[in-house]
Amino acid sequence: MTRRDPHDPPAMWRSLEDKADPERPSRRAQAEAHDPDGFISADAIVSRRGFLTLSGATAAAVGLSGCIRRPVENILPYSRAPEYVIPGVPMHFATVTERRGDALGLLVESHEGRPTKIEGNPDHPATEGATDVWAQASLMDLYDPDRSQRAARRDGAGNLADAGDTTAAAHQAFEEALGARLEEHDADGGAGLRLLVQPASSPSFLRLRRAVRERFPSARFHTWSPLSSSNLRQGAWLAFGLPVHVHQDFARARVILALDSDFTMTEPGAVRNQRRFANGRRLESPSDDMSRLYVVEPSPTVTGASADHRLRLPARDVGRYLKALCRELASNHGVDFGAVTGALGSPSTEGIPEKWLGAVARDLAESRGQNVVVAGSRQPPAVHALVHALNRALGNIGRTVGFTPAVDPEERDQVTDLRELAEAMGAGDVRTLIILGGNPVYDAPADLGFAESLGDIEFSVHLSMHRDETSRRCLWHVPRAHELEAWGDMRAIDGALSVQQPLIAPLWGGRSEIELLAQVAGERNWRGHSIVRRTMRESMGQGTGFERFWRRVLHAGVVPGTAVAPGGDLPIREPEIASAVRDLRDPEGALGADDLEVTFAPCPKLFDGRHANNTWLLELPDPISKICWDNAAYLSPSTAAALGVENGQMLRLSREGAEDIEVAAWVQPGQADFSIGLLLGWGRAHAGRYGDGRGFDVYPFRTSTALGFASGVSVRPGATGYLLAQTQEHGSLEGRAIAIEGTLEEYRDEPRFPKFQTVEMNIPPLWDTVDYQGHKWGMSIDLTTCTGCNACTIACQAENNIPVVGKRQVARGREMSWLRLDRYFVGEDENDPRFIMQPIGCVHCEEAPCENVCPVNATAHSPEGLNDMAYNRCIGTRYCANNCPYKVRRFNYFTFHGYLEGDGVLGGDYYGVPEVKQMQFNPNVTVRMRGVMEKCSYCVQRIQEAKIRSRRTGEPIQDDWFTSACAQACPSHAIVFGDLNDPNSEVARLRQRDRAYLLLAEVGTRPRTTHMAAVRNPNPEMNG
Amino acid sequence: MSHDPIAEIGETHLLPPDTTFHHVTESVSRVTENKAPRGWWILFLLSLALAGCLLASLTYLVTAGVGAWGNNNPVMWAWDITNFVWWIGIGHAGTLISAILFLFRQKWRTSINRFAEAMTIFAVMCAGLFPGIHTGRPWFDYYMFPIPNQMALWPNFKSPLMWDVFAVSTYFTISLLFWYVGLIPDLATLRDRSKTAKRRAIYGAFALGWRGSNRHWRNYERAYLILAAISTPLVLSVHSVVSFDFATSVLPGWHTTIFPPYFVAGAVFSGFALVMTLLLIARTVFQMQDIVTMKHLELMNKFMLATGSLVGYAYAMEFFIAWYSGNPYEWHVFRSNRLAITVGEGGVSMAGSYWWAYWAMIFCNVLVPQTFWFKKLRTSIPWMFAASILINIGMWFERFVIIATSLHRDFLPSSWGYFSPTIIDITLYIGTIGLFGTLFLLFIRWLPMIAIAEVKGVLPHADPHHGTPGDHAPLDAYVAAESPAE
Repeated sequence: MTRRDPHDPPAMWRSLEDKADPERPSRRAQAEAHDPDGFISADAIVSRRGFLTLSGATAAAVGLSGCIRRPVENILPYSRAPEYVIPGVPMHFATVTERRGDALGLLVESHEGRPTKIEGNPDHPATEGATDVWAQASLMDLYDPDRSQRAARRDGAGNLADAGDTTAAAHQAFEEALGARLEEHDADGGAGLRLLVQPASSPSFLRLRRAVRERFPSARFHTWSPLSSSNLRQGAWLAFGLPVHVHQDFARARVILALDSDFTMTEPGAVRNQRRFANGRRLESPSDDMSRLYVVEPSPTVTGASADHRLRLPARDVGRYLKALCRELASNHGVDFGAVTGALGSPSTEGIPEKWLGAVARDLAESRGQNVVVAGSRQPPAVHALVHALNRALGNIGRTVGFTPAVDPEERDQVTDLRELAEAMGAGDVRTLIILGGNPVYDAPADLGFAESLGDIEFSVHLSMHRDETSRRCLWHVPRAHELEAWGDMRAIDGALSVQQPLIAPLWGGRSEIELLAQVAGERNWRGHSIVRRTMRESMGQGTGFERFWRRVLHAGVVPGTAVAPGGDLPIREPEIASAVRDLRDPEGALGADDLEVTFAPCPKLFDGRHANNTWLLELPDPISKICWDNAAYLSPSTAAALGVENGQMLRLSREGAEDIEVAAWVQPGQADFSIGLLLGWGRAHAGRYGDGRGFDVYPFRTSTALGFASGVSVRPGATGYLLAQTQEHGSLEGRAIAIEGTLEEYRDEPRFPKFQTVEMNIPPLWDTVDYQGHKWGMSIDLTTCTGCNACTIACQAENNIPVVGKRQVARGREMSWLRLDRYFVGEDENDPRFIMQPIGCVHCEEAPCENVCPVNATAHSPEGLNDMAYNRCIGTRYCANNCPYKVRRFNYFTFHGYLEGDGVLGGDYYGVPEVKQMQFNPNVTVRMRGVMEKCSYCVQRIQEAKIRSRRTGEPIQDDWFTSACAQACPSHAIVFGDLNDPNSEVARLRQRDRAYLLLAEVGTRPRTTHMAAVRNPNPEMNG
Repeated sequence: MSHDPIAEIGETHLLPPDTTFHHVTESVSRVTENKAPRGWWILFLLSLALAGCLLASLTYLVTAGVGAWGNNNPVMWAWDITNFVWWIGIGHAGTLISAILFLFRQKWRTSINRFAEAMTIFAVMCAGLFPGIHTGRPWFDYYMFPIPNQMALWPNFKSPLMWDVFAVSTYFTISLLFWYVGLIPDLATLRDRSKTAKRRAIYGAFALGWRGSNRHWRNYERAYLILAAISTPLVLSVHSVVSFDFATSVLPGWHTTIFPPYFVAGAVFSGFALVMTLLLIARTVFQMQDIVTMKHLELMNKFMLATGSLVGYAYAMEFFIAWYSGNPYEWHVFRSNRLAITVGEGGVSMAGSYWWAYWAMIFCNVLVPQTFWFKKLRTSIPWMFAASILINIGMWFERFVIIATSLHRDFLPSSWGYFSPTIIDITLYIGTIGLFGTLFLLFIRWLPMIAIAEVKGVLPHADPHHGTPGDHAPLDAYVAAESPAE
């Protein structure tokens, strides 16, 4: 259970008494406070457990490892059981999380008060039951042992020190200080009071912002987030004169042109985009149509990897390409751009293959009204405006492209906003600065001088989960509640309103943004619960039945009727677009070894750096490069050759107006020549024990005028030999029929084409094969719709208590992920390969080679055909893994759960796992010890749960009762799990599908997982 | 010597014709009775230090976890099983020399069989260590034994690892018995020569009251013959079973029917090589050139030539089948992982990851023994010493090549990896050499390292027969010289 300060507010839902009066210490907390022997205060430096760990390790060191007595642990029953809580039966709560201005509706599984697994809310329009990698991983942020536990104030020496001996005392000290300060501001109307906030999609936030402005008319709000949608917003503003969100319907589009847009992974609305994109490419039969995706991008992304045609082009040339394409469409295909036509000029087409203008333009012209052109958020507003003009000219608007009003119409260009704040700070105009979330000292543009002037502000407050870079420069630090700990509300970009419902009381007494804002506004009842209810009640009007409505909303997770269908009848402002396009000048000169480009992209793992202490994400392999625990400077093979740079060589990047940075080089096939891909979010100085100093901080290179990309960069190669750990070192298929792909044409010619590439086993079995009656579990993985986004990998990790192993162990090849995403490069040109992703976990062979080699029967077949692991029996000969043709078995070489906590010399020890991290464990899945083999179990615990339900209710198991964690998370719905003997199950249907094939069928393993070949839809005109 | 019947019937002496029973007893027994020579002490302390290093490494291994090895995914087995197979292979020469050559009445075996048997026992002890400690949870190794228990645990008899457990433990038991039974008459000799009561008591206890009576000899000979007959199939079975660990798997490079005979030939090959190495050292240190003669050494070299050629044939055939079968995975293992010769634009290059291991193996195991076609090299002590060491290096590489190169790149290229050893891999391997050396040196110091009774049995004097007067002059002289106790 939670190790909490006895004076902290108790955990949510623990008992009805708690619910009635959350301020009163719980019985258990009181008991604990009086029984020092039975409970350890969080403040103790050497706890009882810590001592036992040490003594245990010492005993082990002298070879007595078998003789350690396990510490006594007491399991206490509820003295008064809370209603609805049945021990062992998880509860699910609907909540919501924010992702780049969009809201993702979630369903969170809770075991006896501990959230253990996050799923998408099927009723929420943004997720439709799926999730993304960050939603899956956010549990690790919640249970991060390095979260700040107490409000802190800067002391004389300039370091943050706890503001009180307990969480409550520290908060009280802060509140007194804040109250006094705000009273001073009451006198001057808030002159000199500034608030730096995250972009808001919360109605309560908007209401409280008004309230703060009422109390302090002179106070100002500034908005900053390093990955803003400002370019999108400004482009839409240019085109339509209104603050709108743009929606693309990738499911209905026949042709998609993505201009530097990773719309399936890191762009706003990625989860719904990915689902729709997959729906537009889902092939039931050869007569089905699928969309065609063209991607123009500098650095390979999962979207680019899914493309039918991909043009690697430096980011600065994307605008030029767009203009040239529009020119081609206007000149040769009669596409009418109105007043914008004149602004297109005659852009240079140097470096752009002719077919990328001629053939792409013809394809777009022929699919008018049925295509989508989308630009990425790092492209300038003019590119977005021209994209709107193009979509309008092609007749897409109203069909595949639509608009909804922006949630926060006040949001301005964030760089301008932050610059104004930084200037005011530099000029000494800011007396009080309250920073709600974010980490601007780390991620603000380096040239604004924000970090330098922050320390000079009289009274500065930072609300943050960690005592991070920004907190350390502020007078006050206040611990922030995690999204799963706090009440809130949020609107998705289509307006769908959801309530953010906490799953657990703040572990460390943190506050949410709206709670702190309510305190600033002087609201008497500043608890999140009251704020959200008040907002909701006000917006509803004084109707009756609020309680009933409220409970319904909490249950469903989304307020019915709030989502609006995107509309398309906005008048376009051609003159404004024309003038913006005219200003979009062609870049001067060609890129070369002494004039390189850098592009800044959100990390597909750490995002903007907020997840930098999240071990799941730190260890997650990059979807393309498969690098863990680091970021790197991606160079194309020919650029690396031109610069004389090898993998792992340190590069010193310099550019006028920015600090030099050092980054390790990585040769990335598919990268544009002379363009260096940099990922944000790494190299944190104060992220926590796991994230500190991991990777390379590239923010100092990112200035306010070059947030997306910059050219004029020179590189000085330095020392070689920096270790970049990869989970997959070999990217070639070696001509083997493993990840099978074909074109739509080939598929229509021969729907069973994968079966001609694999060899089915024709040898009759030596013994009778088992005829599986009853259930027969199986899985289907569609390589056509899989983008490689990694959501399944983290979902599996969260569901199955899979440890992380650290960079050194990954480099040794000991990563533990049960479900891995294999990425292969296809094609002759190593600079410009195609990509194919193949998720693979245990395929549950019916003739499993692992089973008969185990000397102790630790892996055996269940009557339902599952290849089960009996961990208790396993002695770790590893013979099964050697004999597994798929290499999906993972071995606990050390006690990996505790491995990262020590120096690794003694191999880790379970009792070293921070207690708060143990709270994440799924109680239905064994936590494996060292020396034991493990692998994908097809989520056998979920199967058992369904069988228990079936036995209890007497109903047969239905296909929609449950699915495996990976299938549930997959935004593409590429993974499907179910009962092959159930004629109504989707997986049984998919297994019979023409494209389905058995991986390595020739070995005779008869796997239960089928893969479905990737079908591409290339444009025949683009060949050659 | 005027009259030499052995020479007259066209045979050569195994030992110099003037070797007496007394000389044999004396030169073997004195090693256990005199002060140890300095050479022994140097080797012993060195071995003991390495054995200490083994103990320390084992402690660390069990404390930290098997991650202390360099093994990874996909190379789940590496030095651990390589060392196991290597030691087991070495352990083959003992039984072969003792049992098979005994049944074939190869009298020259008498000078080396004790040596080889001791080597077998210590090698199997070292071998047995590895499967025990390479497991993730060695404290549960007993799950592998069919012990009735309350956990309803029963081993999986389909697993070749289970067969290993039985094959190796049987082999060890029989080898130990065989060795001990053979020792009994010699232990009695040492007992009778003892000058202290303690020595007499200890040797006496182990000699089981041996008095050399006719009845004792009869029982002894029969027991020895039975044990030899039991051991003979074991020579073939143990390494065949060990090879099943690989041959029954689905892994390209392992899944091969040629493995059982190939492994047995390789085992005999390496066992003979190690006997040779040890024999050459002991023969020099304890000056027993007249008991272990060049004739013995040459015969052993011929054995190595024969088994080395068998092994070379197996390599070639394995390679041929990999190509001929048309199995792309298997061919890849041989062509790219092992042979690693790439013919490309830049000419012929070695581009595979483990080419050095494969070619070290080919050089040591195929090319080096071929030099024994030449009598000059076959009878050159420095060369045969060097060759015996090279062969054992080669045989270690053979196992490493089979295990690691097959595993590191198998079916799915996404999982390909590379193995590199850690310090612990190295110290555990060197440590077992130290353990072996320690045990072997103690054996040399405390037990008769050459079978006294058996060597005497092959001397001409042991085979008295009637003939013309004077024929038995050497025997008469001998009888006069020997003490009645003999």
